[in-house]
Amino acid sequence: MGGFINYFSSHFVTLGHEFWPLLVGGLATGFIYSMVAIGYTMVYGVLRLINFAHSEVFMSGGFASFFLTKWLVGSGTPSAWQSVLYVVLGVLVGGLAGAAIAAGIERVAYRPLRRRKAPKLAYLISAIGASYFLFNLAAKEFGRINFAMSPPFANHALFTFANAPVQMLDILTLVVGLLMLFGLDRLVSKSKLGRSIRAVAQDAETASLMGVNIDRTIAVTFLLGGFLGGAAGYLFGLKFGVVYTMGFTPALKAFTAAVLGGIGNLRGALIGGLLLGVVESMSVAFVNGAFTDVVSFAVLVLVLLVRPTGILGESLGRAA
Amino acid sequence: MKIRLNKTVAAVASSALVLLAVPASGIAGASTMTAKPTYVIGYEGPLSGGNAQLGINMQWGVELAIQNANASGKLPFKLQYVGYDDQGSSTLSPAQAQSAVANNKLVAIVGPAFSGATRAAEPFYSNAGIATVSPSATAAALATGFSNNNFMRVVYGDDVQGAADANFLVKTHSAKKVLVIDDGSFYGAGLAQVVATDAKSAGATVSTNSLPQTSNCGGVASSTEYTSAATQIASANPSAVFYGGYYCDLGLLLGALSQTSYNGIIMSGDGSESSSLISGTTPASAANGVWLSAAGGGSSAFTGKLETQFKVISHGVKSSTALYSTQAYDATNVIIAAMSKIKWSSDMQLNRIAIKNALHKTTYKGVTGTIAFQSNGNLAGSGAGQVNFYQVQNGVITAAGHN
Repeated sequence: MGGFINYFSSHFVTLGHEFWPLLVGGLATGFIYSMVAIGYTMVYGVLRLINFAHSEVFMSGGFASFFLTKWLVGSGTPSAWQSVLYVVLGVLVGGLAGAAIAAGIERVAYRPLRRRKAPKLAYLISAIGASYFLFNLAAKEFGRINFAMSPPFANHALFTFANAPVQMLDILTLVVGLLMLFGLDRLVSKSKLGRSIRAVAQDAETASLMGVNIDRTIAVTFLLGGFLGGAAGYLFGLKFGVVYTMGFTPALKAFTAAVLGGIGNLRGALIGGLLLGVVESMSVAFVNGAFTDVVSFAVLVLVLLVRPTGILGESLGRAA
Repeated sequence: MKIRLNKTVAAVASSALVLLAVPASGIAGASTMTAKPTYVIGYEGPLSGGNAQLGINMQWGVELAIQNANASGKLPFKLQYVGYDDQGSSTLSPAQAQSAVANNKLVAIVGPAFSGATRAAEPFYSNAGIATVSPSATAAALATGFSNNNFMRVVYGDDVQGAADANFLVKTHSAKKVLVIDDGSFYGAGLAQVVATDAKSAGATVSTNSLPQTSNCGGVASSTEYTSAATQIASANPSAVFYGGYYCDLGLLLGALSQTSYNGIIMSGDGSESSSLISGTTPASAANGVWLSAAGGGSSAFTGKLETQFKVISHGVKSSTALYSTQAYDATNVIIAAMSKIKWSSDMQLNRIAIKNALHKTTYKGVTGTIAFQSNGNLAGSGAGQVNFYQVQNGVITAAGHN
């Protein structure tokens, strides 16, 4: 017991030093989780199923932007405006690769089943099949080793927030994450396209009677979710590198974040992602690296005990 | 037509006579010339999958030793090679071990190659009394984990490497506060534990942490754990960080640490001693300055005629680039040396046990050095001068002396 108390007190004495840096690191991770969680939540909104191949959307975005960045940067040092251009291109290419793969998964693994009115379990299995196919294809084409992606900018600390150094990459993740999540929220709540997505989510049959093209709406949902997932793959790759299995764990975490925030709820995905990122970051330092997942899932269970539909609740028909 | 029929009858009759004659001549000649019995030396290691190259290197070494032993003409038996492919995996190795045990010509095993696979397979070999001589399984716990003394290895274990690393940090570099991190693998956690224990007894303050393997190393832990760990390391500011694990995850730790104010010593073991460490680190410059260690079994290449013969088997690959091929060659030869000492019985079980016991009494001068085993299966001797140190300098792993 004495050892136990010592252990915790020694950790909390240092809390002042570590708290802010851990918070910044956790938020940066959280934005990546949120961007991936959007893909799960939107697909769940329109199809009521979990797209388990979304991890490979994330991985494809990472690899596409990795090859682009490698080709653009090479061994040179880009100038300031080149850095900005390369980052924008990296986000775009990562996002487009993700969107293309997501649309492909929808076309090949889901649409034929929908046409045949297959049971939900069939979708689950075909999604897992698509996921295995894609990451094994990546392993075959790119090799089973991890690659480091050199950022097209010098990743030094820009300023300190409390006592936390905030790096260029953290700012980039925050800006890209916020822009995309905000843009998507506007798109879904204000545009005609968003209205049709919400209509399909609320009641697909009625929506089709009202003249909404269901196939097109579902395809667009996959494209949008895929774009965010692919762009998240780029941001993740800049920090941790890319490898053919890179999608599995972040996607599982993002799925958790989507459930935590309330599946089907766009703003819930944001809150769930940020919360999970921060909880994970703190638990590595204050508990133990080996218990990170235990802590994260304990938080998930606790939240679901109190609010079975997640923090913001499911809002299927309204937000997505 | 008639003639033809007679010819056939004659042919059948004469071949029947020949058949009858064979056993007769066999019995007659038994006292003067017996056909040599054939025994199998098995090799268990990865022959397919992601780690296959390492396993195939060893297979070449085993094949070379068996080929030369048969060609020498001095043996009272003929040796045969049989490979058991466990893909380096601890989930696949028990089945391979069982299949080796079931082979009633098999006398001993070279391998298993990987530590985790060895731990999983050893109970089966141990039950059957089969000696296993590993060219490459270095986990410290293997030497103490099994009964029956059937585990042996021709490389120094991680206890020797870990002790050398702890000494390097605490004595050579006067580190007072050492943080020891492991990746949760059988190898990584084992090495880390030795370093932690030895650094503590050398007088340093030691703290430990465990960061499980991420997708980079085939695990499922979140890569983001390294961001938090680096923050914590910078805040605690130990004089040295030791990482027990593989290069694929060490790169993440180095990248994360380079974003902090930490500028103490960073060190890792042979699992990180790979040029892929540098290509897998963002930015690559973050790998500069890192210390690495690897326990080598002396000379690591064949010379002269042996090298020529090796290159025939390996299709041109040099033994100096085929890691562990010389160790596998020595492991096979020490088994052959023990085989020539025993009294053969018609009961294979007794032969296996006799070879196992003979191995413990055998001293063999091999390509990698003199091989003799302690009672726990570890290589005899203190291992002084056997652990090499390296430092990453300008993106290149550069030799930096030995213990």
